[in-house]
Amino acid sequence: MSEEAALMAQRLTKSYGKVRALRGVDLEVQRGEIFGYLGPNGAGKTTTIRCLLDLIRPDGGTVRVLGIDPQADPVAVRARTGYLPGELALDPNMTVEDTLHYFNGLRGNQADWGFARQIAERLDLDLKPPIKNLSHGNKQKVGIVQALMHRPELLLLDEPTLGLDPLMQHEVLRLITEAKANGATVFFSSHIMSEVEAVAERVAIIREGVIVEVAETASLINRALRRANVRFKQPVDIGPLANVPGVTVLSQDDGTSVLLQVEGEMDDLIKALAAFPVSDFETERPSLEEIFLAYYEDDQKEEE
Amino acid sequence: MMTIFRYTLRRFQGQILGWGIALALFGVLIVSMYDMIAAEQEQLQELLEVYPPEISAFMGDIGTFATPEGFISLEFFSFMPLILGIFAVLTGSGLLVSDEENGRLDLIMAHPVSRAALFLGRLLAFVAATVAILAVCWLGLVVPMNWSSMDIGWGRMWLPLLSLLAELLVFGTLSLLLSMFLPSRRMAATTGGMLLVASFFITGLAKLNENLEPIAKLSPLNYYQAQEAFQGLNGAWLAGLLGSAVVFAALAWWRFQRRDIRVGGEGGWRLPAL
Repeated sequence: MSEEAALMAQRLTKSYGKVRALRGVDLEVQRGEIFGYLGPNGAGKTTTIRCLLDLIRPDGGTVRVLGIDPQADPVAVRARTGYLPGELALDPNMTVEDTLHYFNGLRGNQADWGFARQIAERLDLDLKPPIKNLSHGNKQKVGIVQALMHRPELLLLDEPTLGLDPLMQHEVLRLITEAKANGATVFFSSHIMSEVEAVAERVAIIREGVIVEVAETASLINRALRRANVRFKQPVDIGPLANVPGVTVLSQDDGTSVLLQVEGEMDDLIKALAAFPVSDFETERPSLEEIFLAYYEDDQKEEE
Repeated sequence: MMTIFRYTLRRFQGQILGWGIALALFGVLIVSMYDMIAAEQEQLQELLEVYPPEISAFMGDIGTFATPEGFISLEFFSFMPLILGIFAVLTGSGLLVSDEENGRLDLIMAHPVSRAALFLGRLLAFVAATVAILAVCWLGLVVPMNWSSMDIGWGRMWLPLLSLLAELLVFGTLSLLLSMFLPSRRMAATTGGMLLVASFFITGLAKLNENLEPIAKLSPLNYYQAQEAFQGLNGAWLAGLLGSAVVFAALAWWRFQRRDIRVGGEGGWRLPAL
């Protein structure tokens, strides 16, 4: 375990009755990084985050948050953390301002109130109306302000852009990036792959309570399958291309074009193509979403 | 803890005013009726004496109906544990679990607040709200004594209210304890309410049937003093009730320290499918 780790989970297990929500999660998030946590509903994302804050107690394994055992000293962990739950529920009878003052009170009035107002302005959030009059998106903004307003060392954000319009989603991602620039560690779960791809330096993919992949976002994308569309000046025999290691022919026309799937480096394919009269060569980089879905498709195939 | 206490007490404002004012107005009505009742006491005494014992068992000593203490006890204090017990059971069962069930506790607990501070802050707010309701109720009983011949005295009027407070704390903390073990607030409130009603009937029926006395000794309402309180509170009974409330609260706190904070149906019980 690195002493510098902002978050560390080893062999983390948690069950709800017969449902095994976490089956030995191993995770390490370095200080100052933005870490994306991907997985579909029920994969164990929220359960992991709630274990980190001692809202639920794991059945087994070890957890450290900023070097602290959350079960031994949950108050110390929470004092240095900002949390946005996936299912945000607020007192409907309080105004936005009273709600934020209440949460600030729970933090011993440690928040930077000027900063809180600044975030609210950036998110176009009015502080006067009662919570019950707010749309889902505006409630989410209240959740974001309360998570950020005390400038925490660690942000645990469960689906931070849920219910926000694209403009506000972009603003939230900017806030996350700014928090990182100011030294914070950001651990966030999301369904929206494009936003994870945009800000996360590393990602973990969780499937049925197990981490199946942890990697730098860029390397995960680079080393994944990609497609290559090749056009030739004249009809050719593509037989030699099909024999290139890591290359699969997906479709071909009358010998003047071919769609290939390439696993790993492109070097062998490019060298093989040197012997062909190539008129055009295009590659498609897969999105993080395609990579993410591939893990689930592989799993389904294994089950079949 | 003070933030939790203030916030919770503010949420109780409506209940304090609603229960307090309603019971205070009822108290004003009862005290105001006393002079009229006292003038007709001979006829009323005759009427009460022909009441079946099953009814009088729940009303206290009807032989003292014409006295101010007997009258106020019969008309007001005898059934007040049942009425205000509803407040205690509903509030106690929802003190932590209602916020848990609607998902608010998750975010509150993500702040630097220990479970002990949250528990204690809310429990103290419940005690303060109960005292406030009884204080408003007390005002409704003592203020109209200025224009009534009822001369119980402002200080003495607190005695049955203190016994009532102890009862309410017992049922409130018992419901809180139930909410820590049972899978839903509704189930805790239902069970707490059933125990309250059972306690009321067992205590009353034990006056008619000696065989029920051993069971009645387990009933909190057996130790409730309405009219008897005016002659002086039974310190042992009061301490026993308050001690029970402390034990129930301590057990609830113990359980709350160890359990998961729920946001969905996890940890819930399911009845077997038919």
